[in-house]
Amino acid sequence: MIRRFLGHLLSCKDVSRLVSQGQDRPLGGWDRWRLRMHLSVCAACTRFDAQLRFLRRAMRKYRD
Amino acid sequence: MAEDFARLIESHRGYLLRVAQLQLRDRDAAEDVVQDTMLAALSGSGFAGKSSLKTWLTGILKHKIVDAIRRKQREPVVVAAFGDIDSELDIEDFDALFKDNGAWESKPAEWGNPEESLGQRQFFDMMDICLERLPPNTARVFMMREVMELECDEICTELSITSNNLWVILYRARMALRECLEKNWFAGEERRR
Repeated sequence: MIRRFLGHLLSCKDVSRLVSQGQDRPLGGWDRWRLRMHLSVCAACTRFDAQLRFLRRAMRKYRD
Repeated sequence: MAEDFARLIESHRGYLLRVAQLQLRDRDAAEDVVQDTMLAALSGSGFAGKSSLKTWLTGILKHKIVDAIRRKQREPVVVAAFGDIDSELDIEDFDALFKDNGAWESKPAEWGNPEESLGQRQFFDMMDICLERLPPNTARVFMMREVMELECDEICTELSITSNNLWVILYRARMALRECLEKNWFAGEERRR
């Protein structure tokens, strides 16, 4: 039971893909929840998430 | 007055050429598209001033580029060129950035206050360099999404790729860009402090 639950948790690699996808399409509730859970305990991925959001802002500025 | 406006538009030629070249890869086609954009800007419905001039020009450029891509797609040889996308997906295997268990091999660093960089000209020069380093089709798609702000389904339709292809391409672009900027700009920032 616990192992099945743990199997659903996201690795940092999964998170990096989800964070990127989240910039292109709305994520489903389950993915969003898993993502939030992971970010709440992973400083590295939290930095990654902020960095990708910054990249998008930088690209907008680059254009303007 | 018209002369001043023409000169102002002309000052953006370099930037427009860079965007067009990243999209079209063909120097001649890029120059044609930029020329059409300039002409359209000078003779068209006029600049209402609602956005910046650069944004307005980029909007016109986007339509010209999409038209050029559509025209090219009717020629089988260019469709084959974009078929190279599969080999681009194999290059730069980002799986190497992660351990077998899915954890970061080398964690994203602390960037401090990256917003400050947005006010520095050299930062955008570095972005130019990092964008230039992207594989050509990856760069093209990334610019369509982030500069021209096309929707995903629009890009997929234009380039005849699936949503999954698109997400993988954009993922690779973002990972590469992030890494390039971290190594070449933000790592230095830490030292500069």
